Amino acid sequence: MKTKPISPVMSSRYLELRDLTISFSTPRGRYTAVKDVNLMIARGEIVSLIGHSGCGKSTILNAIGGLVQPTQGEVILGGVKIDAPGPDRGIVFQHYSLLPWLTVYQNIFEAVDSVMNDKTKAEKVELVERFLQMVGLSEHRDKKPRQISGGMKQRVAIARAFAINPEVLLLDEPFGALDALTKTSLQEELINLWGLENQTKTVVLVTHDIEEAILLSDKIVVMTNGPEATIGEVIEVPLPRPRNKRDLVRMPGYAEIHERLLYLLMDAFAVQKKLAA
Amino acid sequence: MAMKEQAITSTLQPSAQSRWFSLASLVETLKSASASFLYTLIGFSLLLLLWGVISGLVGNSLPGPLATLKTLWQLVSDPFYDNGPNDKGVGLQMGSSLLRVFIGFSLGSLVAIPLGVIIGGTPLFRKVLSPVVELLRPVSPLAWFPIGLAVFKHAGEATIFVIFITSLWPTVINTAFGVGSVPEDHKVVGRAFGFSRWRYLRRVLIPYSLPHILTGLRLSLGVAWLVIVAGEMLSGGMGIGFFVWDSWNALNLERVISAIILIGVTGLLLDRGFEIIARKVRYEN
Repeated sequence: MKTKPISPVMSSRYLELRDLTISFSTPRGRYTAVKDVNLMIARGEIVSLIGHSGCGKSTILNAIGGLVQPTQGEVILGGVKIDAPGPDRGIVFQHYSLLPWLTVYQNIFEAVDSVMNDKTKAEKVELVERFLQMVGLSEHRDKKPRQISGGMKQRVAIARAFAINPEVLLLDEPFGALDALTKTSLQEELINLWGLENQTKTVVLVTHDIEEAILLSDKIVVMTNGPEATIGEVIEVPLPRPRNKRDLVRMPGYAEIHERLLYLLMDAFAVQKKLAA
Repeated sequence: MAMKEQAITSTLQPSAQSRWFSLASLVETLKSASASFLYTLIGFSLLLLLWGVISGLVGNSLPGPLATLKTLWQLVSDPFYDNGPNDKGVGLQMGSSLLRVFIGFSLGSLVAIPLGVIIGGTPLFRKVLSPVVELLRPVSPLAWFPIGLAVFKHAGEATIFVIFITSLWPTVINTAFGVGSVPEDHKVVGRAFGFSRWRYLRRVLIPYSLPHILTGLRLSLGVAWLVIVAGEMLSGGMGIGFFVWDSWNALNLERVISAIILIGVTGLLLDRGFEIIARKVRYEN
């Protein structure tokens, strides 16, 4: 575990993307997904990456997760360069990525058991139990993923990511595949979990949902379109917390942020329409 | 697929309804079972009829069903007698063949599964070993018999060696395929949560490839049972294949056909038995 103490000077640039460029080789040649991305994220901040499909937002998230290597530039976390996945980062994937042959309990336990080598078996069990309870899945602990709903699967994935007690939580369109009601309740659960952990966790979230971004974030990073996507604009969300979906729309300042985001996504960085007929 | 779904819904039924439900489903099960039994009966009746007609037409050169079934009954009613090396009960012969298949198949699987994991899991080994497997796979396992004889000096061991070779290929190929096709979604879990090599093997790779490995093993066992008969015709001495060849030498075709029936039944039981075990360890996605 590479966790260095964070000096106060560094706290505003706890997680830093420096000149990040990521390209892949494809059968049709080199494809540059993101180019020259520079971003600073403070400790405890919740930041959304928003943009159209193919704008490289997931690529950036994977680079922070250490799952994708930058072609140029670097990702710095707490003063240390990231080059591999690590226990300091917990990832929630778009398609849940639960192992179908393991139960709900085992899915969380395997991650905890793998990451927390310094804990005893009893401590690990207790930890898993606690997070199962936090996401309300204690009753379903012995079910296999195929026996539970999409919302429950994503709860398991969130519990798994939280349970390893990472400093940074990375969420890749976590609620994208869920229906509107489940989505709302999970968004609020996520805020609650984050609150329970004393708001010390840094969260980076990929989304294409404007309301979700405003509800959850301190800062919204709007991406331009790919290829060679980069940061178009960073919008601060100074709305007071706690926020909930119902009151959010009536908060002063909400409309303005919403308008701006809509403008950026629909006009400034709109997907070019080839057919006007 | 339909059966699995049925199983799930029936476990979800509230207990008040379960008695009615199980009674109804029992009737359903009985109906479909008796129907399929009827079809089976028709199939075998047609086969017996055809056999009877042909043996009637060709005269004495092919024994008819009645004479054969009489011989078959004699064979099964006293399967374990032992009157020296050239006269043993059909049960003993069958047991000997099964033992050889079991040993050869087990040894083959012990080699084939790790080999398949290596080929499927590491591109370098795939590139190096795939051509070798592709070349050896189409070779009749019986061609290995002389090699077995040369190495082991005994026909019995050589037969086991042939079964060993036979059992390799389907398992290697299916295991390699399973291991090579682990979805990115599952691999990434191991990477993101820092799974050790061992944990990845135990919790991701093996569970995912298990259905493929089992398919390979089942095919291997099937082919092994096919090959043992031919192998024992070559090796002689003992076993159901030897029994067939010995009966032919004694010009006792009733015994040959009886042996064919017994070999078929045994093969079927092996396959079904394996399927029952396989169903227990298979996960449902």
